[in-house]
Amino acid sequence: MSESAPKSSEVPDADDEGKRYTGTSMRRVEDFDILTGRVDYIHDIDLPGCLHAALVRAPHAHAAIEEVDTSAAESHPDCELVLTAADIEEHYQQTPGRLGFKEWALAHDRVRFAGEPVAMVVAADRYVAEDVADLVDVSYDVLDPVTDVYAASDDEVLLHEETGTNLADRDEFVFGDVEGAFEDADNVVEGEYSWGRISGVPMETAGAVADYDSDTDSFDVHCNLQLYTFNGELVYESLGYPAEKVRLHVPENIGGSFGTKIAAGARYCALAAMASHQLERPVKYVEDRIEYLQAGDSHSCEREYSVRLAVDDDGTIRGYDVSFMDDLGAFPRYPLPQAVKPLSVLSTSYHIDTVRYEYELYLTNKVPQTAYRGFGVQQHTFALEMTLEKAARELGVDPTELRRQNLVRPDEMPYELPSKNIYDSGDYPAALARIEELVDERERCEGGLLDPDVVEAKREEGKYRGTRPAVTLEPSAGVIDYASRFEMSDDEIEANTREDVASFPEHLAADLRPDGTVTVHLATSSAGQGHQTVVIQLMADGLGISPADIDVDYLNSAEAPKDFGAAASRMGIMLSGASVGLADELATVFEGAAATHWGCDPADVTYADGAVTRDGGGDSLSLADLAEFVDDDGHTATYGYENPAFDLPEFDDALVDKLPTYPGTAYCADAPIVEVDVNTGHVDILRYYSLHDCGTVLNPDIVQGQVEGAIAHGIGGALLEEFAYDDSGQPLAVTMFDYLLPSITNVPEMVVEHRETPSPFTVTGAKGAGEGGTISASAVIPTSINAALEPLGVTVDTVPVTPDRLRAKLRDEVE
Amino acid sequence: MTEHTTSERPQRDVQLTVNGDAVTSTIEPRTKLSDYLREECNLTGVRVGCEHGVCGACTVLVDGEPVKSCLTYAVQVTDSTVETVEGLSDGSELHPIQEAFHEENALQCGFCTSGFVMSTKALLAEHPDPDDEEIEAGLCGNICRCTGYSPIYDAVYRAADAMEGGD
Repeated sequence: MSESAPKSSEVPDADDEGKRYTGTSMRRVEDFDILTGRVDYIHDIDLPGCLHAALVRAPHAHAAIEEVDTSAAESHPDCELVLTAADIEEHYQQTPGRLGFKEWALAHDRVRFAGEPVAMVVAADRYVAEDVADLVDVSYDVLDPVTDVYAASDDEVLLHEETGTNLADRDEFVFGDVEGAFEDADNVVEGEYSWGRISGVPMETAGAVADYDSDTDSFDVHCNLQLYTFNGELVYESLGYPAEKVRLHVPENIGGSFGTKIAAGARYCALAAMASHQLERPVKYVEDRIEYLQAGDSHSCEREYSVRLAVDDDGTIRGYDVSFMDDLGAFPRYPLPQAVKPLSVLSTSYHIDTVRYEYELYLTNKVPQTAYRGFGVQQHTFALEMTLEKAARELGVDPTELRRQNLVRPDEMPYELPSKNIYDSGDYPAALARIEELVDERERCEGGLLDPDVVEAKREEGKYRGTRPAVTLEPSAGVIDYASRFEMSDDEIEANTREDVASFPEHLAADLRPDGTVTVHLATSSAGQGHQTVVIQLMADGLGISPADIDVDYLNSAEAPKDFGAAASRMGIMLSGASVGLADELATVFEGAAATHWGCDPADVTYADGAVTRDGGGDSLSLADLAEFVDDDGHTATYGYENPAFDLPEFDDALVDKLPTYPGTAYCADAPIVEVDVNTGHVDILRYYSLHDCGTVLNPDIVQGQVEGAIAHGIGGALLEEFAYDDSGQPLAVTMFDYLLPSITNVPEMVVEHRETPSPFTVTGAKGAGEGGTISASAVIPTSINAALEPLGVTVDTVPVTPDRLRAKLRDEVE
Repeated sequence: MTEHTTSERPQRDVQLTVNGDAVTSTIEPRTKLSDYLREECNLTGVRVGCEHGVCGACTVLVDGEPVKSCLTYAVQVTDSTVETVEGLSDGSELHPIQEAFHEENALQCGFCTSGFVMSTKALLAEHPDPDDEEIEAGLCGNICRCTGYSPIYDAVYRAADAMEGGD
């Protein structure tokens, strides 16, 4: 349906730089095992003698646990184990949290969200485990719930009484003379916007298979965690074991994550490991979909925005003032930095020097937040685009012209924000002009979707069409050191020095095997991004060998460095940089081994295209011949690619101030053609135009897949998806009939055009590609809806724009 | 699934032809077809994504018809012929539908892929030369969270071309 990049299964000729594979749509090496059903996801990992667990979950949003009676469950003939908070307290530890919070893997004394696990039951299979779980009898004293940020801010009911407040954290950043800008500006535009609670909802739920070995007093835990090398502490600290005793293994494929499995699943790893420890048998637990939706530690941001824009009559934006309240759920977890990542794109694609940014994070009786594709940036982008839309209307100016005149210009690149992150490269005005041109040529013409005659005729039927293009940004490859600012006082941040900054590199290791082939080991899990394929492309070019002679596997958490992994649109930049470095490192090792063998100076040996050659002589060894002379103690070579933002002095100020730095800033200009049926409140996206620039493209088909998939997520967030709750704190979307994912019937045809502006900051020129579509679509769809409804004077202010919300607006404001 | 248990659990016989092989088992009647195929037949290409009939990852063909195996008890389909994704490829030779998904980049994480491939097989059996509307109707019971669907349309068209005249 879409206009995608050309296919290329054939091996092309090498270009001047010796590249044959990088930049082509080499077919994915991951596909064969997936397509034939052979690949093992977490649910498919089968250890001999494995037992199966089920969880007893709380039916109440907020309640004191009076008693957990396990006697009936334990008397069931198939019951192997019942684990409760009391058992965990006796044998294990709390799970580390954020802002000083710690959590028990099973609810201890009190449940704080509906579906919170209270007990784990282990039996021979999942069916009977669920039978036994039904026999666990828990008595509760039900408490009043806190179900939104406004109720939370009253502090009348406290989530954690010992803290005395539901306000988990707040901060304010002021850049420039904000009050002065608002006093001086010709106009001040105010708005309030709501972002519904959504998340990634991958097709595979979270789970773990744990195997305790009493001989070594250590654990092997197979899991589908994202960032398993980085977040392993959530598991091993819960067990009270050192990191090296808890080996986390990931399968070669995770069935989607989109950020969610950074936090989701850690609890299950810990609980399955505890049960395996108690029973000295392997134990598997994989949540079912209802558990995932109800309480899978998997929700993400839910924000209430209040904004002000200072803008002159001529359209010059003088200042922006944005504050939001975010509903964290019952505990603050790792993904807190979602609150401050938007500082990396503070004014998004616009030049605004004077900005106030404030957040308040509240604890409520809902599922705690995890990360989700976009990581707080889509909400920020949504709020700013909605504000610009309102400003254009109030000033009576053309909304696209208002945007255009305030865009950061290419001659300002690299562009430093007041919040000190730097946009590396790009031409935002050209992108906006091109998307306008595309829409004009194809849709605002006779027979097009926006043919004025057609638009008029459709209005007669109650169908309103419109589009509102905008340029939005995807910050990529962050140095996540700023995450620790949440546990630091202002004085500690003030005293922070450049030497204190953690670097967040990406590691690869490689082994030359006896047959002359190369195995590359990743220290990150993969959930569909094609990491194996991209690494093979780059390594094949770097070593001048065939992709067929390279394979890729995954280090376990005890073997792998602990720095980070696949998140933050990092891997295009970081894995490609690491692959280039690793290939160089391998060449050096090969030359050294050959030199030792030949008794000559390594400088007289050259590695190229799968062989080492002694300069000036006839000596030559293929990699297969060389293998026996290469030291096989440990890996043949390892390489850590330093994050470009860590390496470049331009980013030092931001790093020292613990502000987010993202060295690659990808951008897109998107224009969805929307049609609103005012009789039903239904919004249809008729076609979606996107112009996308993520710098150097490593694999066009993979990038295209990321772009289109990300747009589909943004469509879900804008129109369909929401983890709503009722006043008693009961979740209203616990099935996929209620939490609506985009299907083939409501994702439109996409017309995607690519520009390639290489990043000057990254080794390969690549920028991130995984989040931009999500960030963009969920901002430009609601603004396009407002554009469509302009003749009626109706505006939406809340996503998702569901039919009932839209109908309520139309009833209140028109009829 | 039952050999480890000690409690009295009801049992029923079920006999199926799965990917061409006759399979006979004694199982609990509450065993879902998805779990039966995954655990008794070791056909873990049958993915379990929602277990309430929305996502379609568990789609298999029962007597040629696409069926959500998570909403079907194995005993309901006794004496039937069941096809799963494992039955499509011939050794290292991919079926044209699988090949088309590969060539069109119509999979990323792959968790939904078995279901899409089986639904596509049923779709093309009914509409060997489908249009967009027929593809939508045939695949609207499968959710893909990664691709945004457009390469899946392309894959179906490519498979239809490749299979012209039957598979």
